[in-house]
Amino acid sequence: MKKLILLTVVSLFWSATLFAAGTQYNLRVDGLACPFCAYGIEKKLIKTEGVESVSFDLEKGLVLVKAKEGVTLTEAQLKKLVDDAGFTLRSMSEQPL
Amino acid sequence: MKSFQLFLAVGTLSLFWGGVASAHDPVFSPGPHVLYKGGVEVHVGADREKAGQERQSELGLELTYGLTGDWAAGIALPYVSVKGATDKNSGIGDLRLFTKYRFWRKDSLGRQESAAVLLNVTSTNGDDQANPPLGSGTTDALLGFTYGYESLTWYRWTSIRYRHNGEKSGENSSGLRRGDRWLVDFALGYRPTFPVYLKPDTVWILELNGERGQRAELNGSTLANTGSSEWFISPGIFWTQRNFAVKAGVQLPIASDLNGNQAESDYRAKLEFEWHL
Repeated sequence: MKKLILLTVVSLFWSATLFAAGTQYNLRVDGLACPFCAYGIEKKLIKTEGVESVSFDLEKGLVLVKAKEGVTLTEAQLKKLVDDAGFTLRSMSEQPL
Repeated sequence: MKSFQLFLAVGTLSLFWGGVASAHDPVFSPGPHVLYKGGVEVHVGADREKAGQERQSELGLELTYGLTGDWAAGIALPYVSVKGATDKNSGIGDLRLFTKYRFWRKDSLGRQESAAVLLNVTSTNGDDQANPPLGSGTTDALLGFTYGYESLTWYRWTSIRYRHNGEKSGENSSGLRRGDRWLVDFALGYRPTFPVYLKPDTVWILELNGERGQRAELNGSTLANTGSSEWFISPGIFWTQRNFAVKAGVQLPIASDLNGNQAESDYRAKLEFEWHL
């Protein structure tokens, strides 16, 4: 019985992981010195198709972008969005959610 | 002569208005900030200036559009109220068009340094025949350069502007030519608490604003009681939360050299609200 419960829990966890959607893009943005100015980045990104949420860590110069499953944001695309907002994209990484 | 003094005063406040995306710029002087591409800024503000028995107030509406990430342009429509020793008047003032181009930007972690040029043009729609007048009666242009440094804690800015009053001869229909004006500004800003996105953010500002105005002319003759040099110390604040900003400050005169018999400035005050849409 214990094995069955354990198997069920593991299966549920595995399936939840499997069906977890989307990708998080971690953007290192230079020039972010105030939250009011960061709104321009939020506005540009949130209008991008497939972007679910945008959050900021101003101390680390990080912009965290969550995109829906199946949506790919390219570096060139993100670089242009950040530049249009008046900042500089220094680097980026991505991780599945 | 008193009406001429009031005439010369009209448009003074416009020196401080119409800055283009002035969000995280000083209160009384321009900084290099512009608006993100495709962004719209709605700006509502009130200015007030008092010198002796003369008072001038402005309520203004500005709309700014971000043409690119480094270039913005907009329009400002003021409602002016002018009061002299005996007369007073109010109504729509001179419409202003403005643009700012940030030609240099250096970004690093939590810091941005940049420089911009700006141009403001003031139209002639305000009534310059009224008493006191509500408009200058000439098309005026203001050209400026500004540099700014901002970090998560400290800000500093400097700017220089030149205002040319009137096209060609610069005379309005009354034969009056207001003197051109130089403006120079230095400002420091300090953010006492670390900024967090979506949380309220406050920056304290202290500015030093200098002005030098040339003498005015009436039908080619220089007017003795015109032209001045003035320095102001200007404490201010800007408070923001996400896409909404409030700015306020007061200019207090600390030194002046006024030609002839002119009233010294008592104070200038400003309150502004901004939304980025």
